[in-house]
Order: sequence, then structure tokens, then C-alpha cells
Amino acid sequence: MTPAGDAKLAVQFNHCQGNLDLDVRFALEQPWTVLFGPSGSGKTTVLRSIAGFVRPATGRIVAFDKKVMLDSAAKVYVRPHLRPVRSAAQGARLFPHMTVGANVVFGSGWHSKPADTNQLVDEVLALFGLRAMADRMPRDLSGGESQKAAVARAVVSAVTGGKTILLLDEPFSGLDLRVRDELLSRLKDWLAVWKMPVLSVTHDVAEAFQLGAEVIKLADGKVVEQGPVEVVLAEERRRLLGQLREPTSQKRDVGHPI
Amino acid sequence: MDMQALWLTLRLALTTTAVLLLIALPVAWWIASGTGAARALVQAVVALPLVLPPTVLGFYLLVALGPLTAPGRLIIRLLGHPLAFSFSGLVVGSVLYSLPFAVQPLVAGFKAVDRSYLESAAGLGVRPAGVFFSIALPLAKNSLIAAAILTFTHTVGEFGVVLMLGGNIPGATRTLSIALYDQVQDFNYAAANRTALVLLVVSIAALLLIYGRSGERDSDSLGVR
Repeated sequence: MTPAGDAKLAVQFNHCQGNLDLDVRFALEQPWTVLFGPSGSGKTTVLRSIAGFVRPATGRIVAFDKKVMLDSAAKVYVRPHLRPVRSAAQGARLFPHMTVGANVVFGSGWHSKPADTNQLVDEVLALFGLRAMADRMPRDLSGGESQKAAVARAVVSAVTGGKTILLLDEPFSGLDLRVRDELLSRLKDWLAVWKMPVLSVTHDVAEAFQLGAEVIKLADGKVVEQGPVEVVLAEERRRLLGQLREPTSQKRDVGHPI
Repeated sequence: MDMQALWLTLRLALTTTAVLLLIALPVAWWIASGTGAARALVQAVVALPLVLPPTVLGFYLLVALGPLTAPGRLIIRLLGHPLAFSFSGLVVGSVLYSLPFAVQPLVAGFKAVDRSYLESAAGLGVRPAGVFFSIALPLAKNSLIAAAILTFTHTVGEFGVVLMLGGNIPGATRTLSIALYDQVQDFNYAAANRTALVLLVVSIAALLLIYGRSGERDSDSLGVR
């Protein structure tokens, strides 16, 4: 059975990968949802199952209540490029033979509207602070810039792809905190205008709070809790603040002060 | 210098290269994008001309395309003449004979393309054909060029298949390597020398092109390792 309601995305599946037994069930109802969990908890596999790059043994994944992407009982498996989903994988994967601008426009679905596409791409490049780099090749970009460009590419593809869901796997994990926080809030506001549902993966407590998003907490391949970030990650927040109050001699870079 | 033979050889090599790349690209892409018994079998069949004496291949083609077999009879009825001893017949033979020289570099090239680029493109909703033409093919560009050059030069130099399947008809099936053989048979060593030199130069130029290109070191930046 799939979680009922007015879900942007309803996910239920079982899948065994290596030592990890995934058994997840959740639904996305908020504009931005964060999949939170430690390394190895199965976050990326969940995202890849939704995108279609992993085919779970059993389960059912439905977007917008009616677009069935996976239904093992009915032997339905929709190939990745046909799913109403756009994704940016972990670590930048810019196509090395295209400029940054060509990369960002690559997945655009507005083939018949070149003027609108150019305007949108320009807007997104500005949003990510990449306007000056549009004509550069990916090899001339820093790691952080590449990562931003890869997310920008997925964003353009998502807003031009009709009714879609945007999946971001650790989108800004390599960026320095100030840049990341600023970009996250700008991106969140911008995507809200487009009414674009987002599911992003993170293991960073501060990032989840920064987004003020709905959080799905994953541990050992199971969903342990889902709800507002203040509730689900209260324990993590308390621990983080405790660390920050420790004597300065032991102070480590634990991320963003909340 | 047998200019007719030179022209025929170039025409054959160009036609074979064009036809073969059209066949080899999808075959190589299919082989490179998975594993399994079917792919292993196709790879073995494709590699067969590497170990088979060209005369064996030529002989089988001569029989298969002639009036002794059903496909041969069908071709004769459709064309009005047998494929053997014609330019088209030579193209068919050359395509089969050079198959591994086109397919193998392409398989290696496609396999070297990082899968995550292809996955990234699919994750952006791009159709498989778009992924192939916009991502895989440009990233395997060097292999495509190598495949084209190898096919071209291999066809320029082939002898056994052409002799078996095409005979030795001036203007229709007498290529440079056959002309060279004729010239030696006639003890015309001066002419043979010139023909041999042309074939030698073509081969060296082709290899220089391939190794010169691989020395450009642009393969790293293109994501081909």
C-alpha cells in the first residue's frame, strides 16, 4: 500500500544493496523535503530509486498521485528519462566537452522557446553566481563552482520539464558555509515561485535547519521519523549546540551556528 | 601508375568506411553498454576476420552471394546481376572484413566514457538517442577517428577478399593491391615499386594521424581515460 493523500511523491519499496536492507515508505507533501541520515544509511540509493537508476526488488513509487514510476506488482518500471523527475547526483558531473552555459541549458525542455530558455538560463546562472563563467569549460572551474553548475543544470531541466520533482544529492556539500547558506535560501525562494517540489539529501544538521524544511530521517535503510526539522532533528541540534559551547581549546569546525 | 586502380581503391575505401561506421556505431554502443552471452557472441563474430584467412571469408561470400544460395538468388533477381565480381560486392566483402577494425576501437572508446555522464544526462530527462549523440559520441571522438582511419587503410590494403570476391576487372574490381600483384606477375617491377610506395605512404600517413592525435593529450579533458 502506498501512503495516501495529496502527495507530490509517494515512495514505498524494499531493496537490498550490499549490506544494506532498504525498507522505506514516505510521502512528500511539503515544497522542500530533506532526506537526512548518516553515511551509509541509504539516502543516495533512495534518491537513485526515485530517479530510476536503481530498480528496487519490490515496491511502488508514484509521482503527483497518478504518475506511476515503479510498481513491482504490476511489473511497471519507467525508465529514468521518462520519469517526471530531474536529478543532480552527488559530486559535479558537468559534461567535459561543453561550456558551463551549454551544460546548464543541456537538459532544458523548452526546445521551441529559445528566447525564454536563454532568459531562464541567464537567471539561473545569476542565481548561482555563475554568470561570468558561462563561456568557460568545466575543467577551468573550481570544485565548488562545478557543483553549483551541476545543480543549476538540474534546476533548469526541472523548471522546463513540465510538472517535475527535483532531486538533489548533497547539492552543496563542498561549498563554504557562508556561500552555501546564502545560496540555499535564494534557491529555496526561487524554486518556491516555480512551485517546484524538492527532495534533497544531506547529513548536515545546519543545512536542514537553514532550509526549514520537512525532514525524513533515515537510519540503516529505514525511515525512523518524518516531520518539521525542529522536531525531527531536535536531538541533533541540541548535540551540535552542546559542542559549540565546549571550551574553545577543543572547538572544531562543526558547521553553522544555529 | 594504374590511376584507375588508385581511384577505385580510394572509392572502395571511402564507401566501406562510411557504410561500416553506420553499422559499427550502434553495434559498438550495444556491446559497450552491457554484458551477457549475446554480447560476447557478437563480439566474437565481429572479431572473426582478425583470425580468418581473407581468402576463406572471400570464398564463403563468393558462394553465399552467388546463385547457389537463396539470398544470392534473391540479390541476383533484385539487381539483375550477382554481387560477386562487382563494386558493390567488394563493398560488402570489405565491410565484413574490416568490421573488427571499426567496432573494436569504438567499443573501447564507449566503454571508457564515464557512465556517470550518461546517467547525469538521463537524470535531466534526455532521451537515449540524445545521450548517445550529445554525450557518448563526442566523448568517444578519438576512438571514432581511429576507427575511421583503421577501416580506411585496412580496406586500401586488402587483397584476399577482393581477389576471391571481385576477381580482377579493371575499373570495377581491380584495386591497388591486385594491380601490384599483376605488375609483379608481369615482371614490371618499376610499376610495382610505384604502386607499393603509394600503399606504404597511405599506411604510414594513417598511423601517423592516429598516433599524432593520441599525442595531443586531449583525451583526459574529454573524460576518456
